[in-house]
Formats: sequence, structure tokens, C-alpha cells
Amino acid sequence: MGRAEYASAVSAVKAMESLLLTQSDMEQLINARTNAEFESLVSAKETENKTLSDVWEMLKSYAPDSRELEILLYRNDFHNLKAVLKAMISGREPENYIIEPSNIGIDVLKEAFRTKDSDILPDYMRETASEAYELLTKTLDGQLSDSLIDSSALRAMQKSAEDFGGDFMQKYAELITVCADMKTAYRCSKMEKSRAFLETALCGSTVLDKESLIRASLGGTDSVISFLEHTQYGEMAQLLKESPAQFEKYCDDMITELAETARMQAFGVEPLIAYYIAKEAEIRNLRIISVCRESGADIETITERLRKLYV
Amino acid sequence: MNSMGIALAILGAACASLFAGIGSAKGVGLVGEAAAGVVSVDPNKFSKVLILQLLPGTQGLYGLLTAILMLSRIGIIGGNPAELTTAQGLMFLGAALPIAIVGLFSGIAQGRAAAAGVGITAKKPEHNGKGIIMAAMVETYAILALLVSILLIYNIAI
Repeated sequence: MGRAEYASAVSAVKAMESLLLTQSDMEQLINARTNAEFESLVSAKETENKTLSDVWEMLKSYAPDSRELEILLYRNDFHNLKAVLKAMISGREPENYIIEPSNIGIDVLKEAFRTKDSDILPDYMRETASEAYELLTKTLDGQLSDSLIDSSALRAMQKSAEDFGGDFMQKYAELITVCADMKTAYRCSKMEKSRAFLETALCGSTVLDKESLIRASLGGTDSVISFLEHTQYGEMAQLLKESPAQFEKYCDDMITELAETARMQAFGVEPLIAYYIAKEAEIRNLRIISVCRESGADIETITERLRKLYV
Repeated sequence: MNSMGIALAILGAACASLFAGIGSAKGVGLVGEAAAGVVSVDPNKFSKVLILQLLPGTQGLYGLLTAILMLSRIGIIGGNPAELTTAQGLMFLGAALPIAIVGLFSGIAQGRAAAAGVGITAKKPEHNGKGIIMAAMVETYAILALLVSILLIYNIAI
């Protein structure tokens, strides 16, 4: 797909970027005296694209080739796979556990498990769906099958970034993988998980080698932290130990910083991806402010938890 | 009468309008796509993006101007075609090449620059002028090529 093909989509996205919430908008929301004032400020700032599903539909309508964007929803797709698989096994309905937007409809996922025909699923999920089903029905270990699906999602992202994307997409997949692997390795070391579990749960990347991470994780939490400190993402190691919430924030901020690099581009799919990331961060920030206000958190705490803004 | 000479000169005139026109069409089309994206979100920006869309259209006009001057010089427009040798015909064909080739590539390049300028208008409409100036810089080379083509056309002895 030629980069100039995205001329219309990029211009539309740039026009919409001017409608994103700014730092001063966020401050106004945090400082709202009553919930009614907060609600009215939110509705005053609301655009046509209220939810991520709206944003996704809009981006797809503008993008000449939506396959290049699908990577953004891989994590949702694989989350939904987990939800449907568990719901089918326990005889419940998965609708309440589904995340939207997604590339694969819930009916397709249900049908794939009901008929045990994973061929109706997209390539990137087919094998994982069969393996996870086998694993869960044989071992009844939900945690293990979840880990398998999570690491497969990361691998699918890496592959899609290699197949369709340039440096930006590959960096995006790398950052998501690094953050997830760091978190998994640390948690597994805390829970003293076995090598077999780690092999399933970790994905690995060019910056964080899977085998080294497994060895560090088997050595305990200090070993993981010490290993991570000597990588290019060393500054995140202490955050992981001290505050999981700050670690999550750091990961989200890194993704936003990456999105900012696409802001200067006049053509190509990157500005569209960047807009989706920006909108995702905006919605997350609104949720943080809303939850913090409800729980009576002070302004300082709310500000500390807010994600970096794209605008 | 040596018809090869006049045929080459007409081919030159055709090339001038053809290639410069293609360049403009591609450029204007690209900016049009970008402009449509902005207008779909904010129709009030139509007039601002329209100026940017017009910029790559000039190469086509330069090609047309060159073709008319050339056709006039060789007497086609007056209905009294000049008798041209093959060498003179080749000279006219050569005279058309600067605007034909530069028009083609500068039209496309200006379209890209103007489409990027549409992005500025989309996000910061108050800086629209900067986008126009940056795209207009490409125009310089089309004007230089037009100038060379005109000088050549008027200085070929017939």
C-alpha cells in the first residue's frame, strides 16, 4: 500500500487530533467541584468518537487497507478468545467479558469452539485456539491456558508488525511485548512458577531474550530485577518492584511517546495508529479521573496517575 | 515539404501539455484526497484547503502555455504551418522538454508538499499560510523550466 494512499485518512485524523483533550482540559476535569460539573465538562468535550469502537470504525472507514491497523486489536481478540473459551467450558455466556472493538466477532469465536473448527478463525489465532482448548480441557488449568493465549497474542503482534508494518509498528509490538514479558517474569518469580509455565507464558523479543528471562525468573524476584536493570529498559525494573501502578503508567506513557513520533508524518498508516493510541490514553485518563473522584482521591494522586497526553 | 520537422515540433507541444498536465493531475488529486479528509471532519476548512489544492495545478497551465506558444511559433494556430527541417523540429521538441519533465515531477512533488500542508491546516488552521509557502517553494522549479522552454521556443531560427 503506497503511503500517499493514506493522504485523506491522515488529514482527517489530524483534524480530529485538534479535538483531543488537552492538559488544561484534564486540569479542568480534575478540579471540577461536583460530579455534575465533571459530567457536564465531559459532555461538552465529547466528540462523535466517544468510545474506542467508534474510533475504530472511523479509522477503518478512512484507511484504504484496514489489515495494517488490525494489530491494534490483537490483544482484545486474544482476550476475547480467553473469555469465550472459559465461558464455553464453564457453561456461561461470554458476552459480559468481551472487550470491544475487536477484529473477530464473538459469534465466530463461539462457533469455532462449538464446532471445534478453528479453521474459521483468522490465521494468527487458529493454532492458539486449538492449543488453548486442548490445554484447558486436559489440565483444567485456566492460568496456564490464559498465559498461552497472552503470549500468543504478543507473538501474533510481532509477526503482523514484521509482515505489514515498518519500524513504527515493529517498535510498537516490541514495547507491548517488553512490558508484558517484564510483568509476567516478575509475577512468575514471585509465585515461584516452573520453567514449563514460564516457557508458555513468556513471549520473548530481540531486546528481552526469552531464555535469559526464564533463567532470571527461576532465580527469584531479585534476580529478575537485576537482569532487567542491565537491559535498555533498566529504569523500569525498580518501578516494577516498587509500584505496579507506576509500572503500568510508565508502559502506557512509552507507547504514547512512540505515537508522538508518528505525529510529524504526512502520509502512511502511522498517524492513524497514533491517533488510536492517543484516544485510548484519553479514554483511560477519563476513567482514572472518574474512578479517583468517586473514591475521594486528592488532586495530587489523580495527577500522578494520569497517563501522558498525546496533544 | 519535410513533414518530419513539423511532426517533431507538434510532438514537442504535445509533450509539454501532456506530461505537465499529468504532473498537475496527480498533484491536485493527491491534495484533493487529503483535503477531502479534513473537510469530512470540519467542512469550515474547505476554503483554506482549496488554496493548497490549487497550487499543483499550475504546472498543467505552464504546459498548456508552452504548447500554445510553440504551436503559434510554428504557425499551426494561424493555419499556416512553417516549413521545418528535421533539425528544427528536434529543436522544438527539445524546447518542450524542460517544462514537460520538470512539470511532471514538480507537480507530483508539489502535490505531496501541499497534502502535508493540508495536515497543518487540519490541526492548526491559523498556520495555514506556512503550509502554502512550503508547497509554493516547489513552484520555483516549474517556473524556471517554463522560462527555459519559452526562451528556447523564441530563439529557434525558422
